Amino acid sequence: MHIDKRRFYHLDWYLICNGFALIAVGMLNLVSATRSIDSGPYNLLIKQLAALLVGLVAVAIVLAYDYRLIAGYSKYLYGITLALIIIVLILGTIAGGAKRWLTIAGFAFQPSELMKPVMVLLLATMLHQRKREGEPLTLKDIMLPLVLIFAPCVLILKQPDLGTAVVLLLSCMCMLWFVGITKSAYAVLLGLSAACVPIFWKYLMKPYQKMRILSLLYPDLDPSGYGYHSIQAKIAVGSGGFLGKGYLNGTQHKLHFIPEHHTDFIFTVFGEEWGFIGSILLFLLFVSFMLRCLKISRNTSDELGASIAFGITSVIFIQFTINILMAINLAPVVGIPLPFISYGGSSLISSLIGAGLILNVNMRRYMF
Amino acid sequence: MEPLNEGKFRWCKRIILLALIVLCMRLFDLQILKGDDMRKLSEQNRVRIKKILAPRGMVYDRNGKVVADTRPSFNLYVIREDIRDFNQTVDGLAKLLRLDREEIITKLKEARDYPSSFPVKIESDLNMDQVAKVEANKFYLPGVTIQIEPKRNYPYGIMLAHVLGYVSEVSSEELKTKEYKEYAPGDYVGKFGLEKQYEQYLRGIDGAQRVEVDATGREVRVLDTRDPIAGNSLHINIDMDLQVAVEKAFEGKKGGCVVSDPKTGGVLALVSRPAFDPNKLSSGVTKDYWAQISNDKTHPLQNRSTQGRFPPGSTFKMVPALAALDKGIINEHTSFSCSGGFFFGNRTFKCWKKGGHGSVAVRRGIVESCDVFFYNTGLKAGVDRIHDMAKIIGLTKLTGIDLPGEKAGLVPSTEWKQKTFGEKWYEGETVSVAIGQGAVWLTPVQLMQLAAFIANEGVTFKPQIVKRVVAPQGKVLKVFEPVMSANANISKQAIALVRDAMKGVVNEPGGTAYASRLQNINMSGKTGTAQSTSAGLGKGDHAWFVAFAPHENPALAMAVLVEYGGHGASASAPIAKIITQSYLNREQKEVKSAKLDAHR
Repeated sequence: MHIDKRRFYHLDWYLICNGFALIAVGMLNLVSATRSIDSGPYNLLIKQLAALLVGLVAVAIVLAYDYRLIAGYSKYLYGITLALIIIVLILGTIAGGAKRWLTIAGFAFQPSELMKPVMVLLLATMLHQRKREGEPLTLKDIMLPLVLIFAPCVLILKQPDLGTAVVLLLSCMCMLWFVGITKSAYAVLLGLSAACVPIFWKYLMKPYQKMRILSLLYPDLDPSGYGYHSIQAKIAVGSGGFLGKGYLNGTQHKLHFIPEHHTDFIFTVFGEEWGFIGSILLFLLFVSFMLRCLKISRNTSDELGASIAFGITSVIFIQFTINILMAINLAPVVGIPLPFISYGGSSLISSLIGAGLILNVNMRRYMF
Repeated sequence: MEPLNEGKFRWCKRIILLALIVLCMRLFDLQILKGDDMRKLSEQNRVRIKKILAPRGMVYDRNGKVVADTRPSFNLYVIREDIRDFNQTVDGLAKLLRLDREEIITKLKEARDYPSSFPVKIESDLNMDQVAKVEANKFYLPGVTIQIEPKRNYPYGIMLAHVLGYVSEVSSEELKTKEYKEYAPGDYVGKFGLEKQYEQYLRGIDGAQRVEVDATGREVRVLDTRDPIAGNSLHINIDMDLQVAVEKAFEGKKGGCVVSDPKTGGVLALVSRPAFDPNKLSSGVTKDYWAQISNDKTHPLQNRSTQGRFPPGSTFKMVPALAALDKGIINEHTSFSCSGGFFFGNRTFKCWKKGGHGSVAVRRGIVESCDVFFYNTGLKAGVDRIHDMAKIIGLTKLTGIDLPGEKAGLVPSTEWKQKTFGEKWYEGETVSVAIGQGAVWLTPVQLMQLAAFIANEGVTFKPQIVKRVVAPQGKVLKVFEPVMSANANISKQAIALVRDAMKGVVNEPGGTAYASRLQNINMSGKTGTAQSTSAGLGKGDHAWFVAFAPHENPALAMAVLVEYGGHGASASAPIAKIITQSYLNREQKEVKSAKLDAHR
């Protein structure tokens, strides 16, 4: 394989800088968030830096090969990731009551995170193969891809990891919309989703997951339990005020009011310390990142590349939006990390691989 | 040319902007419109970790009777963080409960290294009246709270006090040491007796509760709870029925008594008088009681049975007898003539019997406790042989009883004198040592071991109070098997002769303890009446009796000391009689009822 030096100049430096800005904010915020954790603040920070290093190596590997070549291998990548998810279910490491991690040589890895970019690749490839010029995809066309997406979702729900399953399903819908499907397919999908809701509620969701949704609707249902954490998260963000309490001056997380304040509830730490101004700036960083991703998708004349870029963007958008809504008590508590900011190596690596795929699409968009 | 999905991208941008607007509006509402309220909420938001004290392990006697347990008590704490006006709270509390203001301040100061939310214990075991007073005035005493916590309780009061010991709050000096690094102010710790010796087993693991409190320190809700784990219980060899009998026999007397099973070393009873009330000492020590106990000139906190060193008097005579017989210096027929006195050096050593015993051999020497016989025997054997025999028996070291602070006695030797005083030994001193006076000092538990040594014909076991340690769920954590502490290789005939003579002491007319003989059991023993040489707190001689019973198959070995009690025969031997009677009669009853049960 040869590396064409010119491609280096086609790297989207805007996106790279924007991404690094988000990662830097995340690392700084993590220092504050992990101060009160018993295992020592720097322990977690070092783990996160190690994950960043691994993620950057992954980006380099992703960039080295043409995304079309990678897309060609997507079914194998999918197979491997699915196998890993099944292994996790059988002999995964249990943390916080859930079996989500696979411990390899001391490093805990969460294969369901890897499923996010892999699913985008697989779906984009399969939909692209079935796409006929100027015609939307029929229900028959999307049957197999749908089944292939549902399989890991059910397994991930079993872990139980409602958040990741939701992200996968929602971004799958976004991609179908982007590629285009027939009206009858829309109708069937909508009907199917409507039918699925009671089945999910009854058979697949754990009592605590139900409690979280109910407690959003009725905060007084269990004020000392699930509702309580949401209220405390809200207080943390609100107490930041206009300017925030200042870096390292947050108090809410120190009291262990908020569970998972360094992972899923990381925004409560940021919002408390940086206030309204800081939060708006952070949102703008995200929005700018996502708009740039969309621009790359738009500027790519290759449909496969455009779909991949769009899929990744939708994954980031869905995670960002639900995560923040959850932190400010507008969405039920589900385990969805804030991309680039939350503590968690798998999530960071997964987001970096996604960003790598977008850079890859951008870099090779002229070469047909 | 317009890209493929231009319309869709436009929609995407709209959706992203919509999301941004929703998020910003919510933040505006939370952080700017409600920001001040939220900040107040976050400042008032305080979580406290409340300690839930673990109850200490129980202590059971050999028949399962509870000798130490826990009961709930009301303890008063002050949380400095919640105090609004320091003087109001401190003065109010001092006035309400008639406490010393300075004492409260000292206690609060001692906790200054701990977070201001740390509850400082001011007073423990409040009575109902005090609790009612505090609760009624709570509004005027911000920072004051009452907690219900387990408190050590000793159902038998002063009985067994020196064995059980007591617990009290860990002192600020102790807290500075490494040993107590796991303790916090207000924690109870074993200070004496088994409570101290087995602290690590008895102490439980405290639980904790995370409680959310409001600005006034009132508990709003419990967030989560970690239950405490009770301490392990001790099952001890003590027989409370026997212990109570001995305690009663010692009423109004000073002294000590140890009874054990010579076949295992298990301690069946241990008494020391005067005693203290461990319940009073364990309730945060009221200053008055502590002052009374620690200033008492009779030293009630001393365990006379393991820490009190006394001249053994004639009970020591078995040691020179064994030394001389074992080395063949005398035999059973070797006789000395006693005319009531013995002239040596430039003084006369008297026999207790003014008229003298006439010609006396070793058996009658022990039975009638002839001093002159032992003056002669002692001189013939020499102090070093007596010391060597004492060493074989184990009288020169600690017995190893599982109580803290045991003191070893002293049996002198020429080497000891040279080392200690830099002087040579005088033969005249040997004369005194032979009858258990002079530089001989032994504790009651050591003399009990002497009785066991003879009862077992040369074998002793380490005196052991705790039989086993049992976890709260019933799992046996540790069993203390008998540990042999002496297995002497000495003349069987010598020991048999001394053993038989001890039977004569009680059971033969003319024996010094003939008055204390029992109808159906052969008790063997030796009286002792020791001159108290130390500048006295009392007057008169110490009365000793060492014994084992039954003679044929010993189940008891004991030493009884009545301080300033007068004659061993009249003051101590009757107590030994009570012990033997109550223990062995009961045992026989048990055997009978067991047989009856078997027949049914």
